Amino acid sequence: MTRHLYRPRLVTVQPNDHGGPAVVGRSEVVAIREQWLVEDRWWTAHPLRRRYFEVTLVDGADRVVFRDRESGRWFSQKGA
Amino acid sequence: MFALILCLLIPRFELLTAVGGRRELQHGAIALAPEPDREQVVGAVSGAAEACGVHAGMRLGEAMARCPELRLVAADPARAVAAWESVLVRLEAIGAAVESGRPGEAYFETAGLRRLYGGHLEGVLARTRKAIRAPARLGVAPSRFCSFAAAGRARPRRAARIVPAGAERAFLAPLPVGLLRARKEATTLPRSRSADLPTVLERVGIRTLGELGALSADEVADRFGRTGLRARELALGRDTPLAPRSAGERLVERIDLPDATSGVQLERMLELLIDRLLARRERRGRVFRKLGLGARFVEQGTWRREVTLRQATAERERLRLVLTPKLAELPAPIEQLRLEVVSLGPAIGEQLSFRRPGERERRRRLHEALRQTRVSIGSEALLRVLEVDPSSRIPERRAVLTPFIYGEREAAVRPTHITLGCRRSRPDIPSDAEAGE
Repeated sequence: MTRHLYRPRLVTVQPNDHGGPAVVGRSEVVAIREQWLVEDRWWTAHPLRRRYFEVTLVDGADRVVFRDRESGRWFSQKGA
Repeated sequence: MFALILCLLIPRFELLTAVGGRRELQHGAIALAPEPDREQVVGAVSGAAEACGVHAGMRLGEAMARCPELRLVAADPARAVAAWESVLVRLEAIGAAVESGRPGEAYFETAGLRRLYGGHLEGVLARTRKAIRAPARLGVAPSRFCSFAAAGRARPRRAARIVPAGAERAFLAPLPVGLLRARKEATTLPRSRSADLPTVLERVGIRTLGELGALSADEVADRFGRTGLRARELALGRDTPLAPRSAGERLVERIDLPDATSGVQLERMLELLIDRLLARRERRGRVFRKLGLGARFVEQGTWRREVTLRQATAERERLRLVLTPKLAELPAPIEQLRLEVVSLGPAIGEQLSFRRPGERERRRRLHEALRQTRVSIGSEALLRVLEVDPSSRIPERRAVLTPFIYGEREAAVRPTHITLGCRRSRPDIPSDAEAGE
């Protein structure tokens, strides 16, 4: 049995007007600390395109979420 | 002369101890209430409750649904253990090498005692009855399980039920499969949280031990795995040899607590008890193998946890580290804390060095800890973090978890981390494809 560490976990995100996260799970985002884009495998049939956001939630927690630009779904990820 | 095992059975011993002298509770449907921080199943039940279909180990909700008039009695494990210990000590005093897995149930071989008490089994039975001074049921048979079944069919204060060698299978055949509930290893189905093996057997029409024993081993293994095979062995009258405890001294220290003792104060009291136990002369330099931490609640009832040390020790700091977390499990305010030695180790334990242990010694200790963890939690419990592409921008590509295999060849491998794996499925983790990889 082998499994990857830091695998992305599906999360419910309500986006704001600019496409960033406004609410993660049930917690409101109070600040977007950083954002960056990761693109890879663009030369294959399954490219990887993610926009990451490091956010601070209303309860003080620091989370990293990203939007998969291929599927449009949001994920939470540790280790980013 | 065949070796015969004597089973001494006091049914519902824990329930009787908990009820004590409360006459109003001695009749009617009663059961031991589940402990606050444990699985919510009822403990021992009275005969009236059994008549309503309630049995020990049944989930509380189901028990209440089957028997709405069921009354729950707070468990008093410390009192039950103390009372049962006195019975075991009396049995050991007549020369019996006793095995006892739980209060109310004890086994010992009769062969060695016959010469002491008249050269015949009746002499041993008479001496046993005289020693225990309690209305117990006695059963004698060539195997442990069969003697348990025989004791269950005997009547208190009456003649023992004796099953001669060779007659075990015939004796067990008409008995219900529910009898297997006395043996956890032949009852618990690993993939079923709601039903135990006897329940499943009854559902499929196998109601007696004879019917179970008539099935082939392959059929049973296919359907019920190792648990089923163990149950079949028991149904055929075969059982593992007895593993009697070693009769020894009983070292107990207790302390009465003032009101509102909690947190750090409680930890200090525990340290005091540890110091007192270590200072007991009867210990004679021996290390502790297994300890029992108990408490008496302010309101009612008692609490008890047994702690088996991974490595027998008499080091104060180690004992404190092992026992202190147990205090967090206390569900209610207590008025007395007690610490007892359940089992002592050898006089010369592992001598710990004042110096920091070398690489080889640390590795040996690590491997021993890993071995014990794997035995207690499961083969997939230990995983190794293996770095695959540590500098990748994609976090999930940096490292993987792989099974940690210990052994001589693996001793050279330096794991980045060792982690305890979680075998619960996580449906919210997407597959690689779902994650857009």
